[in-house]
Formats: sequence, structure tokens, C-alpha cells
Amino acid sequence: MNRMTLLLARVMVTGTMISAFLIAVGLVWFLSAHVGENPGDHIFSGEPKYFSNPIGMVRRAFDLREVGERRSVAMIGIFLLLLNPPVRVLLAGAGYVLEKNRLYVWISAVVFTVLAISFFW
Amino acid sequence: MTEPIFDIAVGGASFCAGVFGSLIGLGGGIIITPLLVLGFGIDLRYAMGAALCSVIATSSGAAAAYLRDGISNMKVGLFLCVATTVGAVCGALLATVLDQSVLAVIFGVALLATVFLSLAKKPGPRILPEDSDPLAIKLDLPGEFPGQDGTKSAYGVAGIVPGFCVMWVAGVLSGLLGIGSGAFKVLAMDQIMRLPFKVTTATSNFMIGVTAAASVGVYLKKGYLDPALVSPVALGVLAGAFVGAKLLAVAPVRLLRVIFLTAVCVIAVQMIRQGLR
Repeated sequence: MNRMTLLLARVMVTGTMISAFLIAVGLVWFLSAHVGENPGDHIFSGEPKYFSNPIGMVRRAFDLREVGERRSVAMIGIFLLLLNPPVRVLLAGAGYVLEKNRLYVWISAVVFTVLAISFFW
Repeated sequence: MTEPIFDIAVGGASFCAGVFGSLIGLGGGIIITPLLVLGFGIDLRYAMGAALCSVIATSSGAAAAYLRDGISNMKVGLFLCVATTVGAVCGALLATVLDQSVLAVIFGVALLATVFLSLAKKPGPRILPEDSDPLAIKLDLPGEFPGQDGTKSAYGVAGIVPGFCVMWVAGVLSGLLGIGSGAFKVLAMDQIMRLPFKVTTATSNFMIGVTAAASVGVYLKKGYLDPALVSPVALGVLAGAFVGAKLLAVAPVRLLRVIFLTAVCVIAVQMIRQGLR
């Protein structure tokens, strides 16, 4: 349990730091291309403008046409950020697998399934 | 205002929200959303999406410290996450069908309730492991936490069923309003399940990110996440929460609490008025 907890803690801190770094770089890069433009966040457009699920996010981030829009780096950062909680649950579940604690393997699996459904339905 | 200046202003406001949030023990999400809506005229749905991402960021950043200290009770956290994640998906789906003005009113009321909860924060009486709810023992929830002198003190867990139900409601609020709903989670664990306060805060922090992630899936699908807004908000709140945690030791926390909670009440009333208009 203790080694798993330490691993979990390390993954969370590293993951958060990497995603914050990518978001920061991406934001600067994006803004440098949009100097002098008006912000467009006031009006809700209703449809998912940029991505609607994690796979779509990554796909768009690596789409070459997207590079012109310069959102891709920040998008990968946000993707990593959103990945953090599911990984948290997954690692906790793995810890219980090692402990052979069947009840909590099940509970972790249920939580993970709910997260997966919400991301991919 | 041009895009870069706008983003810098949003980032700065988020930073302040993060600092004050961690100083007075409110999450960033519940402060940043009204700030974006009332202060910057941003659509409530985009504001909620960005706030929720910032909630995940701070939860992930801080949960690590709690985990390393061994205070948070992972079993309690995971078990209650079943309730909060299901609730969060329900709440997020509800948010997509409710009218924005209704959401604004509910948000204002939740904000007032949060202030009330954080003022009335009097730790409930603790219980011994042997006095635990039988269900808690079946689920192996009672634990122990390290004290300052290195000794471990064992604690029991009460009220599993009511606690689970309140957690579901906390999850619904989280998804409905794009907040971490930490105050409601603490209410359930502290007052109903009678967990020690330190265990409660650490465990609720672990849960907040997982709960928020469950809502984010729905928000993504509905297009509530705009990277151009999420980026400055998440970065600002994360940096602010980090600085706030460092300031905690030296800042006049009591005075700040009074000033800030009053301000939050005014903001809450403004949100309700905006919704009723």
C-alpha cells in the first residue's frame, strides 16, 4: 500500500506539473498568434467547438491543420490534466489488486467505469 | 479588450481566486465561476467548464501532499466516489437541460450555503473504531492517522448510508454547477460519518478531482470546454492555490475570512439577481 501511495503521489504531482507547463507554453503560443483580436468567450456557441472527448482532443491536437490555430499544445496539457483523476483511481485499484483486496478492486472498478462512461458515451 | 489582455486579466483574477480560496478554505471553482460570469461577461457554461478544470488541477496538485502524509483514507474516498461520480454525471446532464438563469440562481444559493457551512464548521464528535456503523466495518473503512508525535490514533466511521446519500447530492451539485463541492463533502464526512477533520479534508481533496472528472466528460460532449478560457483559468487558480498554501502560515487568516466571506455573500446575491433578471 505504501509504495503504491508514494507512486500515486508522484504520478499526480508530475502529471499536474507537466500539464501546467504545456498549458502555459500553449497559451503563450496561442496568444502570440491572436494579438489584436477580440476574445470570443462571451457567447456560447452550443456545439463542441474544439473537442468532445479525450480521443478527439488528442486527435485534434496532433492534426496538422490545427497547428495553424495554435491550440494544440494547450489542448494536450488540458488532456493530461483531465487524465489525472482516472489514473488516480486506476493506480489505487492496482494497489488493491496487489493486496488481493477483492472488495476494493471492485469498488475502484466501478468508479473507473463511471468515469469511462462519462468520457466516452 | 483584445484576446491577450483579456486572457491575462482572466488569469490574474483566477490567480487571486486561487490564493483566497486556499487561504480561507473554499475551493477555486465556486469563486472563479461568478467572477468570470459577473466580472468578464463570460457565458456561464464556459465559466463552469473552465472552473471544473481548475478544480481538477488543484485537487491533483494538493492530493499528492495529503497522500504522502498518509492522512487521507483511500477506502473511504473510493467508496464515496461511487456516489459522487454517479451524482456528478446526473448533475452534469441536468445542467445541460436546465435554463441558464435557473442555474445562476441555484449557483447563488449553493454559494450562500457554502459560506454558511464554512462558518458553522464545528467538528462533530469523533467515535471509536468499535462503535462504527456495522456496514463500515464490513467495508473495512475505519482507519488510523498519524499524530504530530508519530503515534497513530484509530478512528471509527459512522452513518454510511446517510453519508453516501449526501455524497450523491454533493456529486450532483458538482456536476450541475461545475464546482468541487468540497464544503458539502466535508459536511458529509465530518458531521455524518464522524471522521476526524484532517482525514476529512485530505480525503475530500482526493475525491474532488475524481468527482470533477466525471462531470467533465459530459461538459466536453456539450462543448463547455474552450481551451482558450480553460488555459488561463486553470493555470491561474493552480498557481494561486500554491501561493495561498505558502501564505497560510503568515497571513491574517481570520480577518481575511471575514472580509472574503462577506464578499462571497455579495457575489452570491448578484448571481441570484442575474438569474432572476
